[in-house]
Amino acid sequence: MASIGSNSSIQEAEVNVTHADIVVAIAAYNDVRTVGAVARAVRDGLAKFFGSHEARILLADAGSTDGTLEAARCAVGDMGLIELTYQRPAAMSGVLYHGHPGRAEALRAIVQTAHRLNAKACALVDASLHSAAPAWIERLIAPVLTDGFDYVSPYYVRHAHEGLITKGIVYPMFRALYGVRLRQPAAQEFGCSARLVSHYLEQNFWDRDQTSVGVDLWLAVAAATGGFGLCEAALGVRQPASRETPADLSTTLAQIVGALFMDLEDRVDVWQRTRGSAAVPIVGAGPEIGPDGASLNLERLIESFRLGYRELREIWTWVLPPRTIVDLRKLSEAPLERFQFDDRLWAGIIYDFAFGYNLRVMPPDHLLRSLTPLYTGWMASFILQVRNATSSQVEERVEQVCLAFEAQKRYLISRWRWPERLR
Amino acid sequence: MIWNGSARDPLWYKDAIIYEVPVKSFMDGNADGVGDFLGLSEKLDYLQDLGVTCIWLLPFFPSPLKDDGYDIADYRSIHASYGTLEDLKSFLTAAHARRLQVVIELVLNHTSDQHPWFQRARLAPPNSPERDYYVWSDTDQRYAAARTIFVDTERSNWAWDPVAQAYYWHRFFQHQPDLNYDNPAVVKEMLEILDFWLELGVDGFRLDAVPYLVEREGTNCENLPETHAIIKAVRRHIEDTATSRMLLAEANQWPADVRAYFGDSDECHMAYHFPLMPRIFMALHLEDRQPIVEIMEQTPTIPEDCQWALFLRNHDELTLEMVTDDERDYMYLAYSADPQARLNVGIRRRLAPLVGNDRRRIELLTGLLFSFPGTPVIYYGDEIGMGDNLYLGDRNGVRTPMQWTGDRNGGFSRADPARLYSPIIMDPVYGYQAVSVEAQESDTASLLYWMRNMIRLRKQFKVFGRGTMEFLQPTNQKVLAYIRRYRDDVILCAVNLSRSVQPVELDLSAFAGLVPVEMLGYTEFPPIGTAPYFLTLGPYGFYWFELQHSRS
Repeated sequence: MASIGSNSSIQEAEVNVTHADIVVAIAAYNDVRTVGAVARAVRDGLAKFFGSHEARILLADAGSTDGTLEAARCAVGDMGLIELTYQRPAAMSGVLYHGHPGRAEALRAIVQTAHRLNAKACALVDASLHSAAPAWIERLIAPVLTDGFDYVSPYYVRHAHEGLITKGIVYPMFRALYGVRLRQPAAQEFGCSARLVSHYLEQNFWDRDQTSVGVDLWLAVAAATGGFGLCEAALGVRQPASRETPADLSTTLAQIVGALFMDLEDRVDVWQRTRGSAAVPIVGAGPEIGPDGASLNLERLIESFRLGYRELREIWTWVLPPRTIVDLRKLSEAPLERFQFDDRLWAGIIYDFAFGYNLRVMPPDHLLRSLTPLYTGWMASFILQVRNATSSQVEERVEQVCLAFEAQKRYLISRWRWPERLR
Repeated sequence: MIWNGSARDPLWYKDAIIYEVPVKSFMDGNADGVGDFLGLSEKLDYLQDLGVTCIWLLPFFPSPLKDDGYDIADYRSIHASYGTLEDLKSFLTAAHARRLQVVIELVLNHTSDQHPWFQRARLAPPNSPERDYYVWSDTDQRYAAARTIFVDTERSNWAWDPVAQAYYWHRFFQHQPDLNYDNPAVVKEMLEILDFWLELGVDGFRLDAVPYLVEREGTNCENLPETHAIIKAVRRHIEDTATSRMLLAEANQWPADVRAYFGDSDECHMAYHFPLMPRIFMALHLEDRQPIVEIMEQTPTIPEDCQWALFLRNHDELTLEMVTDDERDYMYLAYSADPQARLNVGIRRRLAPLVGNDRRRIELLTGLLFSFPGTPVIYYGDEIGMGDNLYLGDRNGVRTPMQWTGDRNGGFSRADPARLYSPIIMDPVYGYQAVSVEAQESDTASLLYWMRNMIRLRKQFKVFGRGTMEFLQPTNQKVLAYIRRYRDDVILCAVNLSRSVQPVELDLSAFAGLVPVEMLGYTEFPPIGTAPYFLTLGPYGFYWFELQHSRS
């Protein structure tokens, strides 16, 4: 029997529901501007595609004070909501790159409720979106109900310069480690099966520090490492409405990459045995989008990298081997037109940071933030290479990065197996 | 009421790395010269960094300390020198927060003669319920077939009590009267004591001296069915009241006799493999694998959820009870040239001095410990190669203060050196100024770093704790080679027991097509074919290989 953990406490405003075939949950926090549209999209999607099933909409609200709850109730009308309240952290320390404080608690409450209702399929949609559509519900739920998949990961269309942390770090490393080509594995929307819901409840990450930051990624990792059937669903464009002042790049990077690294120790018996990677089926097709014309100041990015090399090189020597430091010096001296971050060098750097993080060679936040200039350097190099590229050309470029991560995985394993401290 | 344990996996002990530590010896938190729970809690980060997953605490109960705490005067409290019950609770919470399990001692067989039960018993009239807590006799001739264990100090298993005007039974020191397990009231008392610690959150219990619980005339009073019935009752009680707990049997017996302590998974979860340890040392000195292979072949299979506890050294002497007379003579000659090193039927030395402080031999022995089927137990201080003091009595020479730094008292205590419970090791080879945690933390080539890496590596492979073992039979007897398997993992271990380079040809034809990948460096070796697989092993060298399918 699945454990629900000792820290969990859910209260449901509507307690008389005992079963549902489908559960679609909306995670909300002060989203009065968008929650109504999201709730209507969910309601309409369920009615249109799953009318013959018993379906319920959950609202996991993190204590909104702007009328979010009322807007959601109004939007779903007669269908009603199961409103979840749950134990939330009293305060948050800093801005989250996505989600909201208590997101992990919200997800845990959702998963527990789906489990209690014996739902065959469960999906999660964030309330802060402008772009949620009824078709999303079909694409997140149907693969579970009709095709036997356990985890449906969204695939959003993005411009070349969007989601670069995912393109340059999260996807390549996730794929190399766990052998599954989920291109956006830390997404806030997903669909999952009853089997996977049970598996989630047995995971030990719910009570970790920083769970709200990492939980989306860890759910994908748990699915990828647990022998479940995975697929992607093309959902088109994701347009979030910002809840908070956006986190700065350094914070965002530290949170995302920290979540990725934090899971490695617990999954070591899986990722060290996984070799190669396999594509997953994709449901539907997203629209082709061309270059968006947005221009980033590449000189500034490169200068940030050079400044980092000058100021942070001493910190890097705690995790990066001398040969890498030499390569970075050469790169810092390269002019813009010849500024190219070698993929294998980049993969090696990320692996070295992952290793240093897990070996606790210095406080994790210091280490992760020192990655920022390296990332800006890689970002500049990547954008230089894809600035006029089509979507498929960008995909090809990302594929090359991924292959470098796969090729360098042996390096990570060898360092992991027999750590050699550099200082 | 069910008390949940701290581990999520009920079989946590199968993957554990246990660290044995006497509270008094590890760290003194209140500067009185004796280690305590405050100090131990301060050093949890060290243990976490070392990578061990379970702490086994030697007895910390109120006691006259005539047998280093194995003479318990109160099972529900803490010896004042080590702190308070609150200190222990804080320690438990802090250990569990670091995902460290904690195992304590449950000395079932006997109490201290200072225990209120014994004081009450000796004053009570014969055949009274109070008297019946212990084993009494009007003569010292009963149970004559039972051997005397502490031959250096005790002449008989009976001692005369002038107050009771009767003899009482003791298998160990005479200040440790044996409890009477034919009395249900004693069993009930012990189960209540168990509840006390289960509720506090202790993860496991080492059942000290467990073969001796019950006595019967005409037997050697060891391993009796009645004793097993008591253990089953203890296990049943744990199953009924708690989750994720473990019982570890200290039964210094031959493997076939120890097997009974696992029962049908209804007695102990773990038991020490006592006879393996001296044979590992013997094989190393003989430069011949035969003693190891022989004892492992005599080792019976145990239930799936049970586990052997393996160790190189512990707080007692290197016991030679479970070897033949010839083997014992050999071991004395090989490992205790100094007669001071001999005690009872064993050798009272730490790991490093036993092997002449030879780093390669320490590594090889640790490699064996970590790759044999079972859960390794590391004795505190052996991870930095601490030495011993043969001039301290009994087994105190291997129970000296932990050497943290090169400062006063080795960083163990801020007390006046004269107040320390034991002198710290000070000789030029093993002394705290030469061997300390601080020094080895600043040296990436140190034994401490090596141990951390080995522990880290072992934890990455459940095959070592859970897998099967098959020996290969190369013609070179100096090489020990074996296969460990668990699920999809196949591991080949090859060990050179000799001081010189050795060639070896291994019959790996059953694995033709697989590629050996050396585990420490993740280095691919040539693929295995049908011909004998040739390896060269350096002096005291050992390799662990994963046998992987070819990438192509």
